[in-house]
Amino acid sequence: MIGEISHFFTIIASCLFLLSFIFSTRTYQSNHNIEILVSRVFSYGFYFILISFLLYVWLAIQSDFSIKYIAQHSNKELPIFYKISSIWSAHEGSMFLWILFLALWSQLFNINLSKKNILKAPAIGLLAFILFGFLMFLLFTSNPFEVILPIAPINGADINPVLQDPALAIHPPFLYLGYVGFVIAFAYNTAFLIKGDMDINWERVVRPWSLAAWILLTIGISLGSWWAYYELGWGGYWFWDPVENVALMPWLAGTALIHSLYVSSRTKALKSWTILLSISVFSLSLFGAFIVRSGIIDSIHSFANDPQRGLYLLGFSAILITISLGFYAYRLPVLISTNLVASKSKEAFLSINNIIFATLIFAVFLGVMYPLIFDFIYGERISVGPPYYNTIFAPLTFLASIFLVFSVGSLWKRSSQLFFINSALSASILLATLITLYLVSLFNDFNWWFVGGLFSSFLILFRYLILIIYSFYQGNYFNKASAIAHIGLGLLILATTFNASLSYEKVINIKPGETYTAEAYEFTLINFDLINESNYDSVRAKFSVKDINSLNKVFFLYPEKRKYFIRGQITSESAIKITPTKDIYMTLGDQLDSGYWVVNIQYNYLIRLIWIAAAVMCLGALVTFTQSYSKK
Amino acid sequence: MKNLIRSLIILLPLFGIYFFFNILTEEKFYPGADFRSFEVPNFELSALDIDVKYTSEDFDNEFLMNVWASWCITCRVEHGFLMKLNNDGYNIVGLNYKDNKSDALGWLKKYTNPYSLNIHDPKGSLALDMGVTGAPETFLVKDGVVLVHYSGEVNKVIWDNVFVPIIKENKMFQ
Repeated sequence: MIGEISHFFTIIASCLFLLSFIFSTRTYQSNHNIEILVSRVFSYGFYFILISFLLYVWLAIQSDFSIKYIAQHSNKELPIFYKISSIWSAHEGSMFLWILFLALWSQLFNINLSKKNILKAPAIGLLAFILFGFLMFLLFTSNPFEVILPIAPINGADINPVLQDPALAIHPPFLYLGYVGFVIAFAYNTAFLIKGDMDINWERVVRPWSLAAWILLTIGISLGSWWAYYELGWGGYWFWDPVENVALMPWLAGTALIHSLYVSSRTKALKSWTILLSISVFSLSLFGAFIVRSGIIDSIHSFANDPQRGLYLLGFSAILITISLGFYAYRLPVLISTNLVASKSKEAFLSINNIIFATLIFAVFLGVMYPLIFDFIYGERISVGPPYYNTIFAPLTFLASIFLVFSVGSLWKRSSQLFFINSALSASILLATLITLYLVSLFNDFNWWFVGGLFSSFLILFRYLILIIYSFYQGNYFNKASAIAHIGLGLLILATTFNASLSYEKVINIKPGETYTAEAYEFTLINFDLINESNYDSVRAKFSVKDINSLNKVFFLYPEKRKYFIRGQITSESAIKITPTKDIYMTLGDQLDSGYWVVNIQYNYLIRLIWIAAAVMCLGALVTFTQSYSKK
Repeated sequence: MKNLIRSLIILLPLFGIYFFFNILTEEKFYPGADFRSFEVPNFELSALDIDVKYTSEDFDNEFLMNVWASWCITCRVEHGFLMKLNNDGYNIVGLNYKDNKSDALGWLKKYTNPYSLNIHDPKGSLALDMGVTGAPETFLVKDGVVLVHYSGEVNKVIWDNVFVPIIKENKMFQ
């Protein structure tokens, strides 16, 4: 019964969104009442979808297995937390959540935007249209409300065990919040293009929303990477998996967007580029949704699928992209600003980095598309792996870091002094060079990417450090948010560089009683425990590890292999020992016939700093967000 | 030049969309479907409900073979569609997979039986030989040769797009 109500409310919400969209197309007479109506009807639509989702959560908590989706993805024995998170563990439910977040962002925007804003009605109307389109997708091709008739199963099929993890349970919501958050910039700027009134100041409106979306997307991606590291047993932080890539593209475009928005709001330059970016970010999010949900790419993240879904998503994305890009092309002649970018000004450096970001996005796009094109033409499967991405990303990141450092302390619309005359810049270059030389000789690693990574990270860190010290000393103003975020970036480059250079893994065969020595550690396999839990059996190895460098201190590691009953799935639980500079990461492999076990030992240097750096970047963006939100 | 850029802005994404449209509408785009044909392997297994032994020689006509189990939730979802196929006159052989006899019989009694006969494969030996990785999976067999192997739930969309073309092509079930 509650299932039917929930279903019905979603249908009502779709009708209301359609109505809101239809009203918005009638606003050309500039009838103020109809504008209010667009916003009102939209709010009602939001409340219906919200209640519908809350009812669905209730159904999941109650383990109502007459709902097919819940029966297939939940189980009576699960704790409440996972009963709820099972909603977004597969296609239908996660699409429902995606749509809820889309509605949530749109509604917050609806509440926040002043009634007097002449773009409000068309922007809300466009959001209503997008919501309507996705709700139709949900109801006709991926209905989470479908019931099993006449008799409901006694128990459900259980959530996929690798998904029974707190980081995973919260990783998709953050990711979706970030993905769909860029819809605001998309809808508002498309409304601006449709209206065509060049005097409207859209940058101020769009900026806080894009920043908020960027923060959430960054958190979502970091949590995903963290989950892959310690729950999936992948043993690293990034794998250039196609689905990671389709999340990275909107992130890169979003990063370019928030910087480009900053330029457009300060100077009148880069307007057309900023608008193109705002369209691209959401289009790339749509592309991501399409790739993951159409089954075009096989990946751990792909959902089981049928081609109808892919066709629908493709068609709907085509409509949205054609509308926005069509108006963009139409308005392009008036959009292109006559203000030329002064050379060596702040906006010049930001523009160069925009070009670098566009190149990075294109490179990822090509990496994702190339196997598909190859398969389509030659009918053979190939994959594009880390070497490709690393070769492109490393040098471009170093280049971008240098222009970033140039932009610090440079002025808007005016040429700035570079090199020897600029003492702060020269000092940071000198310091970065010295410490790089020292570290390169210390670690005896002369790889170009190690040298480049160290140099660019220290360049950024020193430049901002000097800026902060200097500003405190002189009592000058400096952009704190930007300093925090970019120090985060410097730390990220530093961490990834060291991680890539120093980390290594060893695969060993060992049996109880034996000892293996690697680096300054002695690993002794003591014994195995067989553990019977309520929903899985597991084999758990006990290793004692002796740290030779620090007075033979001993600690224990317990890597584990689980076999879950309901789905028969086998998962590997890695054991991690955290030390200040590295993680010792151990996973249990298969047992060989000879009684030996395959064990994988990894030393992951500075891997924790990667997530810390991401958090610092988010913090910086958060400060900017609060500033730009209050200024709005 | 400007007009060229303007048209490219629109045409490039549309070209991409056209490309994906081609991939999606390609006939073989059903990830669960495998059209490589092979002969039904030799086996000797007992029936689920009666005390007889079946061997591969007994299966030289036209039928669908559906791998199912009482513990399999998706089989429960698929069940309604199998009943419809059964009512439409298709001969469906059940391969009860890694299941316990009483659970399986209870399941059939509770939800009604869409199968003309059921082979009991408690260890999954025949299933292994046929390349089964889980339940449900469905095979289309003609004269002892498997023509389609579908992994996952068979529903109307899958039936119409994966099975029906092959059935027509081979003039089966007439």
